[in-house]
Amino acid sequence: MGRPSKILLLVEDNNDDETLTLMALETNRITNEVVVARDGAEALDFLFGTGAHAGRDVSVQPQVVLLDLNLPKIGGIEVLRRLRADERTRFLPVVVLTSSKEEEDILKSYMHGANAYVRKPIEFAEFAEAVRTLGLFWLIQNESAPRAK
Amino acid sequence: MIPALEEEEDLARAYRRTLSTFLHSPSEEALAGAYQLGRRALKEGKGVIDWAGVHDRALAALPMTLLGPEGLARAGTFYRESLSPFEMTQRGYAETNRWLERLNAELRREISAKESLAAQLQEANASLESFSYSVAHDLRAPLRAISGFSDALIQDLGETVKPTSARFLQRISAGAIRMGQLIDALLGLARVSRVELARSSVSLSDLAGTVLEHLKASESARVIEAVVEPDLVAQGDPALLRALLENLIGNAWKFTSKTDQARIEIGRAPSGAEPAYFVRDNGPGFDMAYAAKLFEPFQRLHSAQEFPGTGIGLATVHRIVRRHGGRIWAEATVGGGATFYFTLPKGDEHGPSV
Repeated sequence: MGRPSKILLLVEDNNDDETLTLMALETNRITNEVVVARDGAEALDFLFGTGAHAGRDVSVQPQVVLLDLNLPKIGGIEVLRRLRADERTRFLPVVVLTSSKEEEDILKSYMHGANAYVRKPIEFAEFAEAVRTLGLFWLIQNESAPRAK
Repeated sequence: MIPALEEEEDLARAYRRTLSTFLHSPSEEALAGAYQLGRRALKEGKGVIDWAGVHDRALAALPMTLLGPEGLARAGTFYRESLSPFEMTQRGYAETNRWLERLNAELRREISAKESLAAQLQEANASLESFSYSVAHDLRAPLRAISGFSDALIQDLGETVKPTSARFLQRISAGAIRMGQLIDALLGLARVSRVELARSSVSLSDLAGTVLEHLKASESARVIEAVVEPDLVAQGDPALLRALLENLIGNAWKFTSKTDQARIEIGRAPSGAEPAYFVRDNGPGFDMAYAAKLFEPFQRLHSAQEFPGTGIGLATVHRIVRRHGGRIWAEATVGGGATFYFTLPKGDEHGPSV
């Protein structure tokens, strides 16, 4: 097997937003594998190889996580908190991608270790541009923290 | 019964007469009269509460001119003096105590009623907060879907799309985008009322300069003469004052977009006790007949085709000025530009109106 391609984890419960994000990635010819988690619990299961993802090779982690805040079961902030508390995901790049631009949400996200905060624009062209910039930076330009052996 | 009533009236009359004398010229004699009247009342079996009634009725019967702040203070002295015979008796103490207890109980009831009102208000505010949050978060998602999928449909249909259909889809998308702007503007308006004012010294000149720079960067093709008076310093909340200038200067910028030799001026003009700051433009202006509607939400004096906008900007500006205890008004003529004036009184003189 060759080197696994860089995965992108999209944590999004809204089906429309999921489709739009995938469309935006496609528009920008970002062909990385996208794993979609529909709530916070599913995202944690994927990242830690538990639940439905038990047995997954967790040495393979996404290049970046696009995380919505308002999620069923376990909210985005709590997901962030648990990721930062675990050695395996402490340095995992997480971009909060959400509807809100409430100061409190932005502050909370950074306090819990978000690497970036992007508000989803309503206009698709703007949304696609935001996704393009994010993809370009996190999937290509950014160097991830070296994995702990 | 009848003699007792007459006696009482006699006592009340005497009290009123002596009090009136004391108010006209506060002498030791008149004050001694208060003491004597109190003794007489005590002897006749009056209680403290009856006596308070006699005092109240006497006050009510006296001419208002006698009862300025000084007069009222004097009347209080007189009444206390007339009460001292009561206080010297066991019964007097007991009655005074009961009276005070009743007053205390009333006060406690009032306080707890106010506390429960405050709790209700807090609850209402909290639910309003969570409502605004839902508005921000949940209403935007369907708008993204409307706009995004309309655009996707245009892409999908490609060459085969009828020009009218493409235009309709674009208008659906534009409608969703506009609704998003309205939601954001309404949330901004709500935020103005919600945030606590953090007052400090703010340079309006610097703020205006920054706002103008941003506008110039967003539309570098526009030629505009912008004049900012130096050293405009006001007391206020920096974030809110920035929003205030963003709106007013943004308006001036927008409404001069079709003006040759556009000019925006920010300065200070004398106006009553405190200076008024102003933002002036030489745009199309407006008919002063509609000036009263300017600061109401969703009121617009120009069509969206002429000049785009949400109709929330000036309502936000109005609320920011009001929260600072200031006033705002506009002067304009049709075709002769518009000037918006506002005052920002010093914080310690005008508490924030919540």
